[in-house]
Amino acid sequence: MVVFAARRSLARLGCRQRAFLRYFSSEHTRDNDVVIVGGGPAGLALAAALVSNPAAKESLKIVLIEAGDLSKIQDWGMPSDAYSNRVSSITDASQHFLKRIGVWDYVEHARTNPVHQMQVWDGISGARITFDASEIPESSEMARMTENLNLQRALLRKLSDTPNVQVIQSVKVESIEREAGDTNHWPLVHLSNGLTLRARLLVGADGFNSPVRSFAGISSYGWSYDTQAVVATLNHASRGPFQAPNNTAYQRFLPTGPIAFLPLSPGISSLVWSTKPHLATVLSKSSPGVLEQLINAAFRLPETSLQYIYKRLLEGATSSEEIKGEIAFRERSDGISSHSAYASATSMVSKGGIPPDDADALPPLVTSIQPSTIASFPLRYNHAESYLGEGAGSRTVLVGDAAHTVHPLAGQGLNLGLGDVDALSRCIAQALTQGSDIGSYTALMPYARERYFENHKVMSAVDKLHKVYSSTAQPVVWARSVGIEVINELDSVKAALMINAGAGSQLQNASGWDLLAKSIENLAGFTNTSKMIGSTVGAGIQELAKNAGQRIFGRL
Amino acid sequence: MFSSVQRQTARLSHFFPQNARRFQSAAATSSTVNAAEIAHFSRLSSTWWDERGELAMLHRMNPVRVRYIREKLLESTFEDHGEDARREMESRREVLKGMDVLDVGCGGGLLSESLARLGARTLGIDASESNVGIALTHASVDPQLSSSGNSLEYRHASAEQLVKEPKQFDVVCSMEVIEHVDNPLAFLSACAQLVKPGGHLFLSTIARTPLSYFLTILAAEHILREVAVGTHTYSKFIDPSELISFFQSYRPSASSPSTPTDLGDMGSGASPRPWITRTYAHGLPTRLEAEVRGIVYIPWTGEWKLMSRSSTPWGAAQCNYLFWVRRPMDS
Ligand SMILES: Cc1cc2nc3c(=O)[nH]c(=O)nc-3n(C[C@H](O)[C@H](O)[C@H](O)COP(=O)(O)OP(=O)(O)OC[C@H]3O[C@@H](n4cnc5c(N)ncnc54)[C@H](O)[C@@H]3O)c2cc1C
Repeated sequence: MVVFAARRSLARLGCRQRAFLRYFSSEHTRDNDVVIVGGGPAGLALAAALVSNPAAKESLKIVLIEAGDLSKIQDWGMPSDAYSNRVSSITDASQHFLKRIGVWDYVEHARTNPVHQMQVWDGISGARITFDASEIPESSEMARMTENLNLQRALLRKLSDTPNVQVIQSVKVESIEREAGDTNHWPLVHLSNGLTLRARLLVGADGFNSPVRSFAGISSYGWSYDTQAVVATLNHASRGPFQAPNNTAYQRFLPTGPIAFLPLSPGISSLVWSTKPHLATVLSKSSPGVLEQLINAAFRLPETSLQYIYKRLLEGATSSEEIKGEIAFRERSDGISSHSAYASATSMVSKGGIPPDDADALPPLVTSIQPSTIASFPLRYNHAESYLGEGAGSRTVLVGDAAHTVHPLAGQGLNLGLGDVDALSRCIAQALTQGSDIGSYTALMPYARERYFENHKVMSAVDKLHKVYSSTAQPVVWARSVGIEVINELDSVKAALMINAGAGSQLQNASGWDLLAKSIENLAGFTNTSKMIGSTVGAGIQELAKNAGQRIFGRL
Repeated sequence: MFSSVQRQTARLSHFFPQNARRFQSAAATSSTVNAAEIAHFSRLSSTWWDERGELAMLHRMNPVRVRYIREKLLESTFEDHGEDARREMESRREVLKGMDVLDVGCGGGLLSESLARLGARTLGIDASESNVGIALTHASVDPQLSSSGNSLEYRHASAEQLVKEPKQFDVVCSMEVIEHVDNPLAFLSACAQLVKPGGHLFLSTIARTPLSYFLTILAAEHILREVAVGTHTYSKFIDPSELISFFQSYRPSASSPSTPTDLGDMGSGASPRPWITRTYAHGLPTRLEAEVRGIVYIPWTGEWKLMSRSSTPWGAAQCNYLFWVRRPMDS
């Protein structure tokens, strides 16, 4: 009973301590240990992770506030042949974490799909890397494609089975202020329903435009990519009996941005097409019949032909027939045989059921797009300067997209967020065994230390990949193809890349990204050198440079 | 309404080991209080709870101390009652539930708050009025500490004053205090008298070694000037062997403690047995009676680390170290 003891002692001491009497909890103000703002994947996973720890579950008062209607997500359901357009690859490490906190069992597994292989190729040089999960020990899959709603629903169901977290939904955080007082002031979170929450620890899981981050005065560093991601759910023919099942993710790096094809079921996949905003606008407004042809073409046609199609599209050639004609014309002039997998007009599987030789190098042909699944999102790079608030912003911590936003090309955004949540929940559990104040900077420091540079490495590697591959300058493209081929030859580097792509445990992940970051840095450095060499680069010099590249990569 | 905040740049102090050692005031009595030191610390006490300020090192040192206390108490439970009892205790959210704990020289309440959160009935005492005021203020805004379920109390008092009261404690802690008091022997004796039979005494302090002189005084105070000059006095640092030898001969007398002139010559009155009865090679005590463990600041992690028992004969106690001793049941 410190308050009473305090009054007596202070009276005895004759001490004047203003702040001491300042705090009274009013009817509308509630004390909480953890106030999580944001019911996206990161916020919900944090709540679930905390209550999976017995000490945290028993001792912490946890509240989660979400502006949206979570009950809709909790009751979410779709026919088995229809899929949401927001899909994420859940890496092995994330899966392990979700299993550990007892959430993975709540995910509807029939709606998830393993990724066993990834095919990534350069849109200009054609250089290709293949990642195969069977090449890495102790891992059967690289990642599992999961609808965001499937994951969020699982998290909500887990939380509703553990009534220790108070979830306040359809309520917005309107403002946050600092409690008055000389010392130890706590954040006061004012809600749109009139309630005020006093928070020992305020967690910003509130996405890219994080109000918690602004309150804490944490600035962030980043830029907009001048790129939009067009997403859609795609129907296609199932793979033939002579082909591998639909477990391969495909990504082609075009100068306008990568286009990705992510498998969801034997006949359904998800599209993430990152491209320039003006193209994205036309793509997302085009009729499903046009978009499906454009997607098929974007995986198949040479870059120059694609440029031509874009031009026609922007000029107003927007009917399905016109586009079909343009694509057929380009295929003829590019010499693409109608029996090739690169032809969009013919079925990839011949009458005898024997696919063309190169069929596995490309995703199946899209036959239709699921209704109302076409949408477009702006892409950004953004990293908060710190994950912990200080001074007047103390007792705040950021997780997920509130802390960092990354280009989706490596499918890492959500996984980084889950990594944050895993680290933060472990950090809080440890602080509890030490009797620490879980809102204190010292208690939270291990979280920031574990995650900040880890995330930074991944983010800058992804950013550099995006930049290296959006260049069309000849020397860059050439260096890129050399780089990629070199990578392809070196099993160790490839294994590292595969760990990054999804598989592997947390510990492996770290070194994997280190390797990736190094090889991309080398590739970027290489690119600059080759720019200097310029157009005089002859075959001999290329050979020399290739050897140099091999030495660079060989050192890794 | 989102206010912004001034950002603090990282300070050199966060990367240097001993710079911010204790401004916590000395626990004291009329006899052992050093008035000059108390004034010195009181001036600095307003910065007490600024975790990024001058006391950052101290804030960072707290977790390792609490972990050590927890570890030793679990170990003793195992020795006394076996593995099941230890497990049961470890699984409790409030490991120290039901224990009476005294924090001598509590300063702004850093350790006291942690011990109270772990369930202990905690009394923090300090010789500085302003420290007690800070501790009270800080705890009063925390509902976990001010709610009726918890018991955390602070008093402006010295260990010597408390000895005059009948109460004894399961655990007595005095962290980074003894090197600041004028009469460490009388201070140790007072702390010892406050421990219940079978109870525990935890101390942390600095060894008198060339390394500790370099880190805590020369570098931190004079070269880097990160710590106010005069914070530490080298001659007051205490070696682990001195604490051990004290408890090898310590025999509390029923009357007021005598004031010996030499370490190891303490209160040699009649008493069943001293707290430390045996030592091995290098003068090390047995693990069931006492222990010395070095703690080291790791700049690149920003954390203090407890050295392993085997790292050197003295648990790598070259500079900062933790000391634990248990009062025998029959003493
Ligand atoms: C096209 C695309 C594809 C992607 N693909 C992948 C992928 O394959 N793999 C992957 O790992 N990641 C992927 N990502 C990234 C991933 O979607 C995000 O990283 C993830 O959704 C972030 O989760 P979050 O919980 O941190 O934030 P959000 O999902 O943004 O959640 C924030 C929540 O906070 C709430 N909120 C905000 N302000 C307030 C307020 N004032 N009051 C109350 N509530 C508030 C919002 O309503 C929202 O629900 C992709 C992203 C895009 C755009």
